[in-house]
Amino acid sequence: MKKRLFAVLMAATMVASLVACGSTETPATTEEAPATEAPATTEAAPAADNTEAPATEAAADLKIAMITDSGDITDMSFNQTTYEASDAFAKANGLEFQYYKPTEDSDEARTAAFNNAVADGYNVVVVPGYLFAGMIASVADANPEVTIIALDVSQGDFEGAGMTELPSNVCSFTYQEELAGYMAGYAVVKEGYKKLGFLGGMAVPAVVRYGYGFVQGADAAATELGIASDVEVNYVYGGQFFGDEAVTATMDTWYSNGTEIVFACGGGIFTSAGEAAKKVDGKVVGVDVDQSGTIDGLYGEGVCVTSAMKGLAATVNATLTDVVAGNWAAHAGKIENLGIVSGDDPSLNYVQLPTETWSMTNFTVDDYKALVKSMADGYVTVDSNIDVQPTTAIKVTTFDNIH
Amino acid sequence: MKENTSFFKKPAVQTILASILCAVLGIVLGYIILLCMNPAHATEGMVAILKNFFKFSGKPQQLMYYLGSTLVKAVPVILCSEAILFAYKAGLFNIGAAGQYTVGILASLYTSLALGWNWFFCLLAAVCAGALWGAICGFFKAFCNVNEVIAGIMLNWISLYICNIVLGNETCMNTTKSETYDIAAKNPSGILPGFLQGVFGNNQYMTIAVPITVIVAVVILVILSKTTFGYELKATGHNKDAAKYAGMNAKRNIILTLVISGAISGLAASLYYLTSIEHYKIASSVPGMGFSGIAVAFLGGLHPIGAIVAGLFVEYITLGGQYLNTNYFNPQVADLMIAIIIYLCGFVLFFKTIINKPKKVQKSNAEADKNASAKKEVQR
Amino acid sequence: MDDYVIEMLHITKEFPGIIANDDITLQLKKGEIHALLGENGAGKSTLMSVLFGLYTPEKGVIKKDGKEVTIKNPNDATDLGIGMVHQHFMLVDIFSVLDNIILGAEPSKFGFLTKKEAKKKVLALSDKYNLKVDPDALIEDITVGMQQRVEILKMLYRDNDILIFDEPTAVLTPQEIDELMKIMKNLAAEGKSILFITHKLNEIMEVADRCTILRRGKYIGTVNVAETTKEELSSMMVGRDVKFAVDKEEAKPGKEILRVENVCVKSKIHQNDSVHNVSFNVREGEIVCIAGIDGNGQTEFIGALTGLDDISSGTIKFMGDDITHKSIRYKNTHGMSHVPEDRHKHGLVLDYTLEENMILQRYFEPEFSKNGFIKKNEMREYSDKLTEDFDVRSGRGAQTIVRSMSGGNQQKAIIAREMDRDHKLLVAVQPTRGLDVGAIEYIHKEIVKQRDEGCAILLVSLELDEVMNLSDRILVMHDGEIAGEVDPKNTTLQELGLYMSGAKHDERKEVFK
Repeated sequence: MKKRLFAVLMAATMVASLVACGSTETPATTEEAPATEAPATTEAAPAADNTEAPATEAAADLKIAMITDSGDITDMSFNQTTYEASDAFAKANGLEFQYYKPTEDSDEARTAAFNNAVADGYNVVVVPGYLFAGMIASVADANPEVTIIALDVSQGDFEGAGMTELPSNVCSFTYQEELAGYMAGYAVVKEGYKKLGFLGGMAVPAVVRYGYGFVQGADAAATELGIASDVEVNYVYGGQFFGDEAVTATMDTWYSNGTEIVFACGGGIFTSAGEAAKKVDGKVVGVDVDQSGTIDGLYGEGVCVTSAMKGLAATVNATLTDVVAGNWAAHAGKIENLGIVSGDDPSLNYVQLPTETWSMTNFTVDDYKALVKSMADGYVTVDSNIDVQPTTAIKVTTFDNIH
Repeated sequence: MKENTSFFKKPAVQTILASILCAVLGIVLGYIILLCMNPAHATEGMVAILKNFFKFSGKPQQLMYYLGSTLVKAVPVILCSEAILFAYKAGLFNIGAAGQYTVGILASLYTSLALGWNWFFCLLAAVCAGALWGAICGFFKAFCNVNEVIAGIMLNWISLYICNIVLGNETCMNTTKSETYDIAAKNPSGILPGFLQGVFGNNQYMTIAVPITVIVAVVILVILSKTTFGYELKATGHNKDAAKYAGMNAKRNIILTLVISGAISGLAASLYYLTSIEHYKIASSVPGMGFSGIAVAFLGGLHPIGAIVAGLFVEYITLGGQYLNTNYFNPQVADLMIAIIIYLCGFVLFFKTIINKPKKVQKSNAEADKNASAKKEVQR
Repeated sequence: MDDYVIEMLHITKEFPGIIANDDITLQLKKGEIHALLGENGAGKSTLMSVLFGLYTPEKGVIKKDGKEVTIKNPNDATDLGIGMVHQHFMLVDIFSVLDNIILGAEPSKFGFLTKKEAKKKVLALSDKYNLKVDPDALIEDITVGMQQRVEILKMLYRDNDILIFDEPTAVLTPQEIDELMKIMKNLAAEGKSILFITHKLNEIMEVADRCTILRRGKYIGTVNVAETTKEELSSMMVGRDVKFAVDKEEAKPGKEILRVENVCVKSKIHQNDSVHNVSFNVREGEIVCIAGIDGNGQTEFIGALTGLDDISSGTIKFMGDDITHKSIRYKNTHGMSHVPEDRHKHGLVLDYTLEENMILQRYFEPEFSKNGFIKKNEMREYSDKLTEDFDVRSGRGAQTIVRSMSGGNQQKAIIAREMDRDHKLLVAVQPTRGLDVGAIEYIHKEIVKQRDEGCAILLVSLELDEVMNLSDRILVMHDGEIAGEVDPKNTTLQELGLYMSGAKHDERKEVFK
């Protein structure tokens, strides 16, 4: 009974602090934080103190850990980006950093990895991927002194794991992937490609948003150009986040039937698209990060036309900076949905196309900037609904999942 | 007539010695691998693996929690090895345990998630499914003389694909996560009743699976050593011609053995998945539990109680991999090392032979030399 | 002294708890046939293992042509020209005779086999020693006697001049034995030295020049065969006087127990029946013996009778009950005891303990089980009783793993088990195979005792002495059929040999007695 009571009190504390921070929207200070929470319980106060008051502590006391989801840090995508960003940040700030790989793909194993990290003294844990909702639900309250930065875990994911509100030691970031997908779809059609393909990983919300955005972007561009009847999109999910023979075979069929470019969207699944593209001079659009280096390196120069990026690295970097600088309260307990923040400087946005490795000629960087501007200004809207496939003027052929 | 009854010559002692030797050699080899990867931190790495969840010793609750987790996770591998050793005693190499385990997953999760049955009936369904799978294998062996290894391997793949198809259905599979639904959320009555969860740091996965495993092991031990059925099975296993000569029904025993072995494998799956500690994901290969079970069975000296110890050891080491510092060793090193340790576990018989060497060689030579061998001289 | 080719002087070899060879000296002269005589377990095979480098003796030296040599492994022995014909042939069935001979010593040029010259050499050797072997025949197609000659050729091909024959006559017919004796004499005459391991006294008397006798690991003596008698040899071997003839009274047959009519068994290898139209009966109180050369359908017939093999036609009646297609369990529990031909394959579970083997067919009976559990105490008591009654010796009593017991004691255990079971018919197949004189004597006595108690006994034996001594009626089997029935009192070994080889075949008028 005692434990349960404690848990209730803890939860109350968290809610209190969340409300406090959320309403004021100002960075919490050491003086304020305990003051807000002291009435709730004396036990919770010191714990909350740690969380809320990193500013007074030397940055050296922070130890950053990352836990991988079902993949590994070499997936050339989600985990890898997070890992590299965290690692770089830790090195730049002279902090300790280590990543943990759970023994299995299960909540229990992820929780074990988390506890392991905590036992090793890590107090800032970065977890990339919606799979972590269950783990966060089971550990967040019990470890109030540990800051958890989640990427891509949405409100829905938390609710699915039985959490309605985030405790103040947790924050999460989701992205408006549909915007990035839209940009990529718009760009490639404007560039002149007419036969498009979308190869998703598993049909998880982020992937679906990318895909539907891609379709909408292609549709908009085709309509603008008046070639809607000529543009086609093949649409499929691989059912896994890695390529294999079966996926490659499907891609081979697509490319040999005229598909010019495939948006390979989901972890390592781009390898199948790349392999198939290589054989017939096809093209690939990368995802999450600027994959042009990776894909061109593996499958030949120019295979990767562009990438629909979301600012994982930027998010990790910014959030960790805030944690170190004592600005955690800006994020505490929040789920932030990141997208376009600037119409004038696309590089500030959390969804982008890579301008540094720009390879398109018909659709130029200036065209891209104009597109971003119009999106930021609300002239272009992208539907983020993932329940129904968007209706389009162009023809979208949906295939059964490969696996 | 004096028999050499030195302590180290007793078969039971030798089996235990061989098993320990295997485990130690595996650890030494693992250490060598760590040394190759990163000499400076090898010792630290090995200590981390061996220290395992005792790193939580400062927090008794977490310590007990992870002790509990280790026990829970050892359940399926122990039971699979019980299934394998049981069949092995009857002279059957039940490599099909992996498939029987898979249909066990299928039956327990389908009845729980799609049909919403109570845990007891889910468990029963898994046992029946495993038994059926074993029976098919046994039927082919007994009536068509199809080697149980071949039939077992084929059935393994069949079970995998059936399982993928059935559990891939939306009534069982959470498509956004690509894994089956959490039983605790979808069908709370399908979760196994807890067992001493308070003692094990409120480990919600700590269920009656653990005591059931021990009970199953003891029952197998009793069946094998005390009953007429066990007597028949072992006789068939040692010498099927003699069993036939003695009037034992070989066909019935083959089928019955594989049915029981399959039932235990199915039970293994249900006792694991019905705790909801892990969810089934569409897989492209048969779950490895049935295969690890082979190594565990041998490491355990083909003894039902030995299998428990061996299973705990293997699971302990397997879980130990995550405590390696990833700054010095990437997780694949841990996997590799653990694979090697488990692999070496299968060498128990080999080590047993080595321990026995001086005597064995003489024996075999003598036998090759002449049928009236040195053994007889020893007897006189 | 110089004419000894091989001398083994004062060899002592110890195993834990036992001295297998205790100060044994064996000297082999050039061109002689030297017999090595001893019971099972007397230390003959240990001594030969020492000669072949399989064991290193604790004490003693080995000399070749007067020079001391060390033999560390069988290759050293081969290099010294020592070759052995094993009791169980080491031949590859699906290879030709020639291939088997050159196996392990293949003549080759530039890595290619050059069989032509090898064939020439084999043919020359075959002619020289009158071995009559076709180099191109497959091993599986030729007779046992011929296979043995292939083994001999193998040694000759390797230019061995010290030849060891390990109980070579165990598998041969009387005619083939005669032939082997001639071959051995030939070889000796050509200057080969022969060491002849056996426990058959007749053969020693016939062929050997000298004989060394071992008993229980000790050297008893070396005698000139010409100056000794069978009786002297046997008492040296056993340590006491042994009776060769079995004491038994005239049989008093009672009512019919077993009636076999027109039994046929299909062969597993070829199209024909391996047992064809066999009919006979066995009455209580008599010993009926099926004699014949190994491989003439005896094994298949017994298989059909006991249920180990399928029967294709005919009927078997047991005490009036048609048991043709009854299960083994049924036969076991209705009064048929069976001492199987192959004690390791069928008779025993070698990895079981003695007590477990003692209840092999009876474990489920209420005497030994209750509610599916074995009654360990009853099993122990029963086993102790049988081992005492039948003098079965083992290291750890009832708990001895049978594999570790000597062959003789294993056989005794089977005999004890089968004789103690409630039975009206005892089917005993080669009950004394591989046993020493003392054990044979004991088993024969037991069989006669059973007969006198009114049991019907069907004996299958390859040993003609046993056949002649023990049986009341003899049926000779040849090529799957009963070639003839003879009365042991009115027949000779020669006549039996003719039936066995198929030279004589009677139409039996009255098949049932």
